[in-house]
This record gives sequence, structure tokens and C-alpha cells, in this order.
Amino acid sequence: MLLVQVIVGGLLLGAIYALFSSGLTLIWGMMNFINFAHGEFVMLGMYVALLVVVWLGGGPASFGFAAAFALFVLGVIVYISLIRHVMRGPMLAQILSTFGLALLLRYTAFWIFSANFVSLPQVSLSGTVNVAGILMPVPQLVAGIAAIALTLALHLLLTRTTVGSQLLAVAEDRNAAMLMGIRPDRMQALAWGLAAGSAGIAGALMAMSYPWSPSVGETFGLTAFVVVTLGGFGSVPGAMYAGLIIGLIQALSAYWFGPIYKDIVVYALFAALLWLRPQGLMGKA
Amino acid sequence: MKWSLPALAALLLFYPFILTGPFYWDIGVAFLLAAISASAWNIVGGYAGQVSVGHSMFFGVGAYTPLLFYHLWGLPPVAGVPAGMLVSLALAVAIGMPTFRLQGHYFSMATIAVAELIRIFVGTWDLVGAAIGLQGPAVGRAWWDLTFRSELPYYYIFLAVLAVVLYTTFEVERSRFGYYLRAIKAGERAARSLGVPVRATKLKALMLSAVFTSVAGSLYSIKTGFIDPESGFGILVSVQMVIIAALGGAGTLFGPLIGALLLVPLQTATNTWFGGGGSGLTYILYGGIIVLLARFEPGGMHEWWQRVAPRLMRRSHAA
Amino acid sequence: MLLSAQNISKAFGSFLAVRGADLAVAEGEIIGLIGPNGAGKSTFFNCLAGDAVPTTGRVLFDGIDVTRASAEAHARAGIGRTFQVPATFEDMTVLENVMVGAFLRHHHRGTARETALRIVEMTGLARQSAQRARSLGTPGRKRLEIARVLATGPRLMLLDEALAGLTPTELQQAIALVRRIHELGITLVIVEHIMEVIMTLAQRVLVFNQGHVIAHGNPREIVANEAVIEAYLGRGHRRRREAP
Repeated sequence: MLLVQVIVGGLLLGAIYALFSSGLTLIWGMMNFINFAHGEFVMLGMYVALLVVVWLGGGPASFGFAAAFALFVLGVIVYISLIRHVMRGPMLAQILSTFGLALLLRYTAFWIFSANFVSLPQVSLSGTVNVAGILMPVPQLVAGIAAIALTLALHLLLTRTTVGSQLLAVAEDRNAAMLMGIRPDRMQALAWGLAAGSAGIAGALMAMSYPWSPSVGETFGLTAFVVVTLGGFGSVPGAMYAGLIIGLIQALSAYWFGPIYKDIVVYALFAALLWLRPQGLMGKA
Repeated sequence: MKWSLPALAALLLFYPFILTGPFYWDIGVAFLLAAISASAWNIVGGYAGQVSVGHSMFFGVGAYTPLLFYHLWGLPPVAGVPAGMLVSLALAVAIGMPTFRLQGHYFSMATIAVAELIRIFVGTWDLVGAAIGLQGPAVGRAWWDLTFRSELPYYYIFLAVLAVVLYTTFEVERSRFGYYLRAIKAGERAARSLGVPVRATKLKALMLSAVFTSVAGSLYSIKTGFIDPESGFGILVSVQMVIIAALGGAGTLFGPLIGALLLVPLQTATNTWFGGGGSGLTYILYGGIIVLLARFEPGGMHEWWQRVAPRLMRRSHAA
Repeated sequence: MLLSAQNISKAFGSFLAVRGADLAVAEGEIIGLIGPNGAGKSTFFNCLAGDAVPTTGRVLFDGIDVTRASAEAHARAGIGRTFQVPATFEDMTVLENVMVGAFLRHHHRGTARETALRIVEMTGLARQSAQRARSLGTPGRKRLEIARVLATGPRLMLLDEALAGLTPTELQQAIALVRRIHELGITLVIVEHIMEVIMTLAQRVLVFNQGHVIAHGNPREIVANEAVIEAYLGRGHRRRREAP
């Protein structure tokens, strides 16, 4: 029974991984650009949630929305002020840009919030639910379900709406999209907003169940890399499956080998992927 | 600028006698170590354009093996240096072979992931000291333990190593290998069409870089007599190499030196000004510098100077 | 046959960019490859040059099967190519660019440099040899690409619109350069839109449309060929021509 609980817990967390990784893979597929600061977007989402609860006394809906909105804006700002300019330049500049941004965000957070772990004073969602003998803490259950729903929503947005098809058109062929009257710049800014926003809300969802500090950004960033590599370059559905798988593997590793090993196994899996199947589950090679 | 090279050499050689005392010698040693590490990174990151943000893995390996040789077998730490180089070489091959046939991003992501993997793992492995780390000989048993009380001998050892790294880089720059590295950075597809063996060349660059970085790590742990997962494999070790090379001018011979010259005194200053919590602010500063570099001057100070110097010359001639 | 491409097809997903294209080039020939945009010429070129692996078919170079060989291997075997959008090494000087090519056959810096200097002289780039490639205009870059490939000592050169966008004077100089290259004994396959180039240089012409070869012959025959005209100008034009 405990094993089943571990599995369910892993899947629920994996759903959140799926949510924030889908943003990363969207950017990668669209602009061939890897955001090394993506984990920091998640981390900031967590702090936004904290601030909303502490200052405004808001509940999950409000801090979730606040995190999504604040990070959406940050994502657009980052695109306009930085990414747009380095995109067409040398690889060194591209990698340094978001890598430096990650440092900037991480250590600014350290400075403002200190290195202490904090957690969200939870009021509305608490307690555990018993489903067929499996005990699931309500916050984690709600977070997991919300994450899946949001990832699906993102996928539907991309594949079923006009805006989505415009985004995909730019991803497919920038010049052709321009000839069709689509403005790549706007679409890319939107993509960054969506990616950052989904990272932010993922952070807020995680904040409901787990304590954190500014250091978590680094780990989440790496987790996102593994998820997008496993899921395949540019594939949001791939990121969804991969996120769940990684969450599961992590939970099982912690259960069988000990909590220290949960990250080691994931990174080792990443190395193995690079050797054996870099295109992942659903990506184009 | 024919006079500048002998002048630079003389300056570096006589620095400890120009600015004397442990405080200045300490900065000098820090400068040299930073210059060595950044120059090592420069070979694969600057010249070949393969941006590693996890180079601490090689540094850490090179830092751990000497102290490990001492800890396990009582050998002088220097004996562990070649072992560190070999392990780093193997690591370079293990990472380079799968990733160099993929897009550049994979390599960069892999370097962070593997460096973190090793850092966490070493932190759990009792044989290498786990989270506590390893220590070198507190008091030297003989001269080959290299436990000097003064900074001065270290300064000259480090200077010699720097000279080797720079000379090697210089020779590489002029060679077929060096031209191929720059071609790969400038345009892989075109390089391929000219017969450049891209994957093998990148791998060679990474291996060379790894070996030198490993030596830098060894120098560090031999001098400080201590290493732990954070000081060996931490991300900040990687960051420092990258920022110093990039600030001075990645892909140029003296770029890392210029970067070290600018950053090491800066780091010493901020650590003093901001006190204990200073390291946080120092890294905010680093992050900001890296972003600004990427946005405005990816070629670093070297590039900036190349653009600005002609204008300055013209103005001074006109005056 | 120096180069023989048989039944080459290249599919991208469900889209067939090239289908069943054949090409046979004897040593010393100059072959022209023409066709409307999007006809698959560049993709075909990429298959010949090792930049893309054909979905079906074989490419034989001097009897050796190079179908699946890498672009590097192609270059070593003696196939050189230029790019439609010049891909010069922007931050390296003109001479350094050419040296990269020269290093293929000359492993020592000294001999590579000598070779590069000779070629820079021959291609008329001597005055700019110390300039960075990025300071050249497009015609200069195209010429640099040619020089760079020449330095690899190829037996066959694939030129992808290397003479596009030139002024009339530059065009004549470029045509003269291509002739000089040919005189060195190098076989040439040239993709061009400029009919003057094809008429004056090509001995044989292949016409591409929608992924396969629709006509094949000497330049004069091709220009008069109905199918070719139709490919370029569409059905309507043909009907208009027939009306008295």
C-alpha cells in the first residue's frame, strides 16, 4: 500500500513537472533556445504565492493567478529586453544570457528572502483524502490535478486556437509566417509569457505542499531539462508524459534508495538519455 | 604591441616583489588560479564555442584526487595530479561523445547536469569524505608535500602552469586544430563542407580543456589543503571560469587574463565591503555582468577595446 | 562517370521534396541545374554533397558509394560545395577562411598558408585578404566561398547560385573565374537562375520541377523546350503562345 502511495505521490508531483517543463519545450521548439533560468521562474512563482498569502491573505485561486500573471509579465519583459537581442547572435551570448539571468534571479532572491526554507501557511486546503485506501494530502491532489488540467489547456491552446496555430507557424517557419501576416516577434513574446506563466503557476501549486528556498530553482531547472529531453524537443504532449515518468522515477528512487538519491537518479537518467535516445519519446531527432 | 608581451611577463614575474606581503601575494595567487582555470575553459568554450557551464566537474576531480591519494595512501598530494587528469579525460570523452553529435544546447545542459550529479554523489560517498570533504597534510613531511607557509612558492608554481597553458593555447591558435576550432564556432555546417571532422575536433578541445582544468583544481586543493563538494564541484566554480573568460574575451589568448585582472580584485573588494553575506551580493553582481555581456558585448573587453581603441587613437592624433 | 546519382528521393515527413532524380556527370563537364524556386534543386544538391541522406537512391563518386557518407567525408573524397546563402566564417579574415579550406590537404600551417595565398590571388581577393569576412558584401562573400572550397582541392564543385546578385561587370568577372576553375580540371555542377550563366558556361542542362528532372539537354534545346517554359511560366503562357 505504501508503494502505491509513493507512486501516486510521484505522479502528482510529476504532473507539476510536466506543467513547467511544457513551457521550456515550447520555447525550445519554437525558437531553438534553451532558457537556463526556467527553474528560477518556478522558484519566483513560489515566492509570489507566499507574498500573496502573507500580504493579502489570498487563497489558492488568487495566489495561483497572481503567480501566473506576474511571471507572464516577467517572461515578456525578459524576451523584449534580452532574448530578442541575443537570439540571432553567437551561441555563447545566448547561453550566457539566461544563465546569467538565472544567477541574477537566484541570488537576488537569496538576498531578499534569505536562504531559509519557507512554506506556505496553508489555510483553505488541508487534510487528507482517502481514495480506495490511498491517503492523499488534499493540497498535493489539487495541485496535481490542476497541473494536468493546465498542461492540457496549454496543449489545446497551441493546437486548437488561432493564436496557437500562429505560434506554431512561427515555430515551423518564421519567414513563411511573416508572409502570412503573423508577427514573429509578438508570437515569441507571447510564448515567453506563456512559458514563464506556466512555470510560475507550477511553482505556486508546488508551494502548497512543499517548503522551498531560492536554491530550488537550480534543481527545477535541471529537472525541466531532463523532462524536455525525455519528452522530445518541442513536444508539449511529450513533456506531459515525461514529466509524469520523471516524477514517478524520482519518488521510487527516494523510496528504494533514500531521499538523497532522487536527484542523482534523475541526472543519471539524463546522461543515459543523451547516450541512447536523445530525441526522447516524441521529439524529432 | 611588440613590447607588451615581455612587459607583461616581467610584471607577472616581479609582482610579488613590487607588491609585497601576504595580502597582495594572496590576490596574486588567486589571480593566477582564476586565469589558469578560465584559460582552460577558453579552449573549448571560447575557441570552439562549445559552452560548458559545468566545468567544475573537471576542476573538482583534479582537486579531489591529490587529497585522496594523501588520505588513502599517505602519498604526497602531487602524486594524485596525473590521476586527476586521466579521470577528467575520461569524463570529457563520456560527455562529449554523445552530445557533440547533437545540437549545442545538449552539451551545455549535459555539463550542468553531470557536474551536479557528481557534486551530490561525492557528497554522499564516505570514501572521499562525503559532505565534510578531504584535507591535505597539515604539516609537510618533506618539500614534495608542497605545504609552504608562504604564498610565494605557490605563486611561482602557478605562474609556471599559467605559462604552459597560455603557450599551449598560443600554439593551438596557430595550428590546423585551432583553425578548425574557430571554423566550428563560426559555422559548423560550412566547416563540415570543408572536411573539418567536427565531432572529433570538439572532443579533442574538450579533452585538452578538461586536462588543464583538472590541473587547476589540483593546484587549488594542494595550496588550500582542503576540498569539499561545494568548493570542488559547485556551480560557482563553473560560473567563475565562464565569466572571467567571457568578460575578458572568450576565444582570445589574453581574454582570460584580462577577465581575471578585472574580476579577482573586484571579488576581493566586494567580499570585504559586503562582509560575510557578501558572497550573495557578489553573485548578483556576477549575474548582472554576465547578462550585460551577453546583451551588449559578447566578445568581452577584448572586442570592446578593438572597437573603441581606433576611435581613441584618431582623437588623440587629431588633438 | 565522375558523379552518378541514381533515383534520388528525399522525403520530409510526408512531403517529397525530390523524387526519382538522376544525374550523371563525366569528369571535366560543366552541368547546369535550373528550375523554379521550391523545385527541389537545393535539396538535391544537399543529397549530392552529403548534407542530407537521400530517402532512396544512390550517389556514386568515382565509383565509390557516398550515399550515406558525411559531409566531411564528401569533402575529403573531393566533392566541394558552396551555399545558396553564403556561410563564410564572419569573424575570421578572408585569408583565414581560405586557410581552413587549405588545411584539408595541407596539414602544416606554412603550406596551407601558401596555398591559401595563391588561391586568394587567383580569385581576386588579394586586396581584402586581411579583412574580416563580415566586412565583405554578398558578392565578396560568394567569391570567398568559392575560394575557400577551391582550397580544399576538389575534383567536383557544386555551386549553389554562386553568381546571383552581381552587377553586370561582377557577373563577367565571376563567369571568367568559373572558367578558370574549369580549366584547372575541376568538374562543375552549377545551380543558377541567370540564363546568361547557363547559356555561356553549361555544356548540359538539367531542369528540375516539383522534385524531379523534367528536361535534359544542351542549353539551346532546353530554352526551347515546352515543358520547361511551362514549368517557369505556367500553362497559360503556353496557350497564349499558341494563339496566332
